[in-house]
Formats: sequence, structure tokens, C-alpha cells
Amino acid sequence: MSQSVERQFAVADSIDAALSARRSGAAVLAGGTWMMRDPRRGHDLPDAVVVLSGLSGMTDIAIDPDEVVVGASVTHEALADALRGSAGFEGVVVAAEGAANPAIRRVATVGGNLCTPDFSAADLVPAFLAYGAMVELATPERTLILNMAEFLKQRRELLRTAILTRIHLRRDVAASAHARLPLRKAGDYPVAIVSVAVDGEGAIRIAVGSVEEQARRWTSLENALTRLPGLPASPERAAELAREHMDFSGRDGVEAEGWYRCQVLPALVRRAFACLPKLETRA
Amino acid sequence: MSVTFRLNGQTTRFHDDPMTPLIDVLRREKFLTGAKPVCREGFCGACTVQVDGEAQMACLKPMGLLDGREVTTIEGLGNGREPLHPLQVAFAAADVVQCGMCFPGMVMALSAFVRDHPEADRTAIKTAMVGNICRCTGYERIIDAVVDHLKDGAAPKAELADV
Ligand SMILES: Cc1cc2nc3c(=O)[nH]c(=O)nc-3n(C[C@H](O)[C@H](O)[C@H](O)COP(=O)(O)OP(=O)(O)OC[C@H]3O[C@@H](n4cnc5c(N)ncnc54)[C@H](O)[C@@H]3O)c2cc1C
Ligand code: FES
Ligand code: FES
Repeated sequence: MSQSVERQFAVADSIDAALSARRSGAAVLAGGTWMMRDPRRGHDLPDAVVVLSGLSGMTDIAIDPDEVVVGASVTHEALADALRGSAGFEGVVVAAEGAANPAIRRVATVGGNLCTPDFSAADLVPAFLAYGAMVELATPERTLILNMAEFLKQRRELLRTAILTRIHLRRDVAASAHARLPLRKAGDYPVAIVSVAVDGEGAIRIAVGSVEEQARRWTSLENALTRLPGLPASPERAAELAREHMDFSGRDGVEAEGWYRCQVLPALVRRAFACLPKLETRA
Repeated sequence: MSVTFRLNGQTTRFHDDPMTPLIDVLRREKFLTGAKPVCREGFCGACTVQVDGEAQMACLKPMGLLDGREVTTIEGLGNGREPLHPLQVAFAAADVVQCGMCFPGMVMALSAFVRDHPEADRTAIKTAMVGNICRCTGYERIIDAVVDHLKDGAAPKAELADV
């Protein structure tokens, strides 16, 4: 069990201490459900880690009338429990309570899910992308607040020094849904994910995860759906448009080939639209 | 690094690499071999223990995160000489165990679940078992036994000899 050089394990008592540990090369350790499997992927565990969960606000979920703020150390289970039954958050809740299995959801954090650039099948990434979440990062220079698309674009570079501290969810989403296709041979990871959110003005955002290396918005489908009269479209019509506007190149993997990931997308679009709470009947 | 935690009710210390998975400490240092390292990836549930009363996978739990925590293993729940947990009694009475490889994890996951969800129905029980794979039983008899256990309410702890 011993290793030759003693590993550094720091529990940060301030964000500055955490940033300073990062500058000295420590990796953030959250729930460990991704990092602890590094040796199975042929990588060594980091020589130094820093734990953030003791920092103020990191495990809190603040629910205000205009905004929900989620600390980066909040677990999937806590996120689903806090938002279950709140209008507009349906997709985020399905993503948080559908990922992995109960024992993993109890420890795996929101921060860990968003800060793993090599993990294409992360559920919360497309759910937050569709929702329109903003990500707050502490960097050595300043606090940064970015939208999800910007964060994903710069994620690898930013995470060399930055720490994700909070997710901001404005409460202007009227309804959302999250449809995923897990496969046993993929270790129950989803091989394709579709998240949909409709805001109070009727604007639709659709995000796709696990199909390409990185989750992204399906803007061609969003535009086609926006041109339809009456929102949102029927599940069948949405699936037809998904077939017409297929612009993904699926990633090949041992768990599923790229063409398959793309082929199941219209069915996932149909399922997501079928799960979307009916706007006119909502309280 | 030195980690102080409680293991099956006793204060214990660990002085070594803080990223050592709990499962290795349980089996190699504490000789508690109930929890099994099968997949070491969080998928099978054979290593499930309770940390502060919550079912978690010991294969993915670094020792450094356990400072001040309470760890309970299947040996702490009932060692065969003392009264068994009522759920173990229900499993034994319904003769659900086959090879037994998955059962320490199954019991640690489901005993926490029935404590927190005494009204659970079949679907809820199935959902709670998603992370505990059993290659032998086909699950249905395990679920039957949990349903019976919940129907019986909080049965008193029983001696193995009573079963
Ligand atoms: C059996 C199993 C099944 C799974 N199934 C799913 C699934 O269906 N869907 C899904 O989405 N995921 C799934 N996962 C993946 C897992 O849920 C994610 O990897 C998890 O969210 C990681 O969180 P963690 O807290 O455990 O992260 P850790 O393992 O602690 O960290 C992961 C990475 O994120 C970095 N990091 C963590 N927090 C921060 C922060 N605040 N700031 C900067 N960097 C940070 C770490 O340095 C590390 O590189 C599964 C995992 C397992 C073991
Ligand atoms: S060995 Fe831990 S979940 Fe399989
Ligand atoms: S009884 Fe054999 S794996 Fe479950």
C-alpha cells in the first residue's frame, strides 16, 4: 500500500489555500468516483490532492425566487433531492438521479461531473447546457462567471489553475427534460443524451451529450423547432426534425459506434419532448 | 498521513497513503473480508459498506476522506455470533443466498435503504438495488425477502439459531 514518496493530502480551509495548492500541482479531489479509477485507466493517482468540501458554501444549495446556486461539492443525490418537484428543473433532476447508481450518486459531485474533460458521457453537462446554467470559477487572478458553452470551450485550459465553485441556475426555465440511453455493455454509461429546456418566452435549448467528445447545443434543431407554430412541438414532429437536421459525427468507442449514437438521437428527442411538462397545465 | 476513524464501533488509525482505497485497508490490514473487491470501478456493489450510515462503495473511497467518519462493514452489522440484522434474518429465512459473493454488499446497501424507506414498494426496492449486481439469483427472491421484511415491520433482532 505504501508509495515511495509521501502523497500530499490537503483539506483546504480557504479558497486561497485551495488555489495555492493547485498552483503547487495538487489536483482537486471531490467524491473520488472518477479519480480513484485513474489506475484502471493506466494513469497514476495524483501526487498531491486538495479537498474542497470543507469550504463555506461548497456543499450548499441556495434556492431563491430568481436563482438557484449550487455549490461544486454538492452530490448528485443532494441536487436531485433539493430540486425534485421544482418547476423548470425536471431535466436537471432526471440527470442527477439517473446517473450511475445510488451509492455513486451519494458521493459523486456536481464539480466532479463538470470538471472531467475526458468524460464525454457526463449527464449534468448537457442538462446544464440546455438549462442555460452559468459556471463560477475561482482563478488565481479573479472570479470568473461563464456560460456553459464558454466553460466547455475553455475547460481544459481553465482547469489547469482554476477551481469550480458554484453553478448558477436562473429560474427562467419553464420546463425541461433529459433523455438518456444507457447500455449494459457501456457499463451503464449513457451512449447518447438529449436535454431540452424551454424558457418562459418559449425559446427552446437542446443539448446533446456523449455523442461527440464534448457535449454541445443542437442549434440547427433549435432553430427548426422555433420556426414551428405553437410551442413546444409534438414529440413526433420534434423527432422528424431531428432526423432532418442531423449534424453530429458520433465518436466511436468500445461501448458504441459513432453511427449508432447518432441514429438513436431522434428517438431520444422524441422521448425528451414526451417528458416535457405541459406548459399550459402547469401551476 | 494519519487518518482516525471509527470502524464497526471502534476508534482506529490508519497511517499510510491517503489515496489507498478503503476496501484494501479493510481486507489487507483489518482482515475484514466481507466486502469484496470485484470490479473496483463502482459498478458491482460487492464492496458496499456504510459510511456515516450511508451505503457507499469502498473500492472508490480514499482513506483520506474518512478522517472522523464512522465506517460499518457487514462484520459490524452482525457477525453470526451476535443477533443478526433483521434483513439478514429475512434473507436467511427465505433462503435467497446462492454463491453469496454479492450478499455482504447487498445487505449493506439494503439495510440502509429499509431503515430510511420503511414504506418502500417493489419498484423503489429495485431502484435501490441498481448498483448491486448478483449473477446467481435473478434478484426476484431478494426483492421478495425485502418486501416481506418491510411487511413484518421492525422485527426484533434474531439469533441465527432461531432462523
Ligand atoms: C459506476 C459508475 C457509474 C457512473 N455513471 C455515470 C453516469 O451515468 N452519468 C454520469 O454523468 N457520470 C457517471 N459516472 C461518473 C461520475 O459520476 C462522475 O465522474 C462524477 O460526477 C465525478 O464526481 P466526483 O465528485 O466523484 O469527482 P472526482 O473523481 O473527485 O474528480 C473528477 C475530476 O474533476 C476534478 N474536480 C472535481 N471537483 C472540481 C472542482 N470543484 N474544481 C475543479 N476541478 C474539480 C478533479 O480534479 C478530477 O479531475 C459514473 C461513475 C461510476 C463510478
Ligand atoms: S468492487 Fe467496488 S463496486 Fe465493484
Ligand atoms: S448470490 Fe451469487 S452473486 Fe449474488
